[in-house]
Amino acid sequence: MIQVLISGLFLGSVYALLAVGLSLAFGIMGVLNLAHGSLAVLAAILYKKALFLYPFSPWTFCALTTPIFLGFGFLLHLIIVAPFRNLSLSSSLVASLIASLGLALILEDLFVWWQGWEPISTHVTFTTFNVWGIKIPGLRAILLGMAALTIGLSTLFLKKTDPGRSMRALAQDKEAASLYGIDPDFTSMGALGLATILAGIAGIFYSSLYPLGPREGLDLTLKALFIVVAGGMGNLRGPAVAGLILGFIESFAAILFTYTSTDTIVYSLLVGYLVLKRSGSRQ
Amino acid sequence: MLSSVIFTKGYHGIFVFSLIINGTMAVSYDIPGRSLGLISLGHAVFFGLGAYCFGILVSKGLSFFPALFLSLVLSVVGALIVTLLMAGLNHGYYSIATLGMLIIFQRLFETLESITGGSAGLYIPNSMSKLHCNLLAAFLLATTVACHALFSQSRWGIYSKETEASEEAAEAIGIPTRTVKIMCLMTAAIPACMAGMLHLARNSHVSPDSGFSLTLSITALLASRIVPVKGILGPLLGVLLITAAEEIIWTKFEGFNHAWFGLILLFAALYQGIDFKRREKISAAAEN
Repeated sequence: MIQVLISGLFLGSVYALLAVGLSLAFGIMGVLNLAHGSLAVLAAILYKKALFLYPFSPWTFCALTTPIFLGFGFLLHLIIVAPFRNLSLSSSLVASLIASLGLALILEDLFVWWQGWEPISTHVTFTTFNVWGIKIPGLRAILLGMAALTIGLSTLFLKKTDPGRSMRALAQDKEAASLYGIDPDFTSMGALGLATILAGIAGIFYSSLYPLGPREGLDLTLKALFIVVAGGMGNLRGPAVAGLILGFIESFAAILFTYTSTDTIVYSLLVGYLVLKRSGSRQ
Repeated sequence: MLSSVIFTKGYHGIFVFSLIINGTMAVSYDIPGRSLGLISLGHAVFFGLGAYCFGILVSKGLSFFPALFLSLVLSVVGALIVTLLMAGLNHGYYSIATLGMLIIFQRLFETLESITGGSAGLYIPNSMSKLHCNLLAAFLLATTVACHALFSQSRWGIYSKETEASEEAAEAIGIPTRTVKIMCLMTAAIPACMAGMLHLARNSHVSPDSGFSLTLSITALLASRIVPVKGILGPLLGVLLITAAEEIIWTKFEGFNHAWFGLILLFAALYQGIDFKRREKISAAAEN
């Protein structure tokens, strides 16, 4: 039972990382990025390819690829945010949803073409700790700590730094923020860059713990989306907690049911929650 | 003679059939898409429901026409449950929930292996000639086109437009917006269920991936929106364009069919194929 709880905690921390990035993009730009999970898969593939050259640890590779994913974020901004900036919130939401779905489908085929159908697994061997008779894999413990640290640092960045405050101001009132000299394009570009970095880190961590299929990007995005809806769009704490809860649910369901049944249960809970929470909402 | 050449002979028969089925899906998709402005990413849920209900009944020993009738009733009940759940959602939430629903059905039908055949799917014997299947499908498309036209000119069509423009305003003038949404979504769901049944009757096989297919949902979405022509002609021309292009991509660029759809979706969103910007300009001009 405790092993399942620990496993749920690890899985939940990766979901939380993924969902926090998505929530950030939605909160600041009103964008639901369906290619978010595909970027995580891209990071996993890059990590797998890099391991053939040098045995990087997941955290070293995260640090090394941060500028690359920031660049991907900027590029993504040009595709799914910039063309829809003059639309109303609901219209830009749907337009970005469709554009990013298009991007996700393109990326999925490119991933299969690039690295084949086999799942991406970048597991590196690490010591297992024994705490009061409970076996805790060292790699998982470190990744859990890193995930918590990344979410903490992102929160600090948003609360305590000038670019972070600009992002929050933009999220609250775009026009008022512009009057105070904040460049909405530049700031939202930075926000999407940060969200993409978080997706990249989540992908590297996920593939270190579990095999990740080249076409699983959309699956990951959907789970993250529902976590965001459950935890509250635009804040970081809610999705982080909801991500952990989903990790626990999935881990418990996995020991009771088959893989497809687990997915059915998880998606049913998520859609059910969405229907209950958002029915009648006109925002 | 001519109809048998067009409708049944080898590749042409298959192409014409998929054109008609895609047409039915696109025209039915267009009913709530155009009048309520809802973007569904899971229209194939109804297609899969229809196909599986029919397949399960035939595999349990029911003969063709009773199975067709009973599966229509069962899949309409299933579609009604899905519609009741989705009708409360708006905009992006509706799109996400429909996509989630598609995945739920895919996984659920993979899990219920003893009834649905699992991920390998269901096989049923051929009990109807291909010509008759194609003619029935053509009749279904014509009926769907008629439903589209009748719905948009009916009281419910006008109510839908009002609901799309402003739900609060529509409710204020006494329009039952939830009932309108359910009516509109069900008008789209029933032809999609029937398309699924005919698909299985002709091809003898359905699997969770081919029944509850994201590609089919996106084909319907794209076909209904890609040609900026008003009325029923838009989705019909759209489906001709998409299905023809799909065939070329399948044969020339194997393995990139998702990327092809993705590229069109991206361009459709970017270059106002999905016409939000135009509609917003029109409403802004009307307000001024």
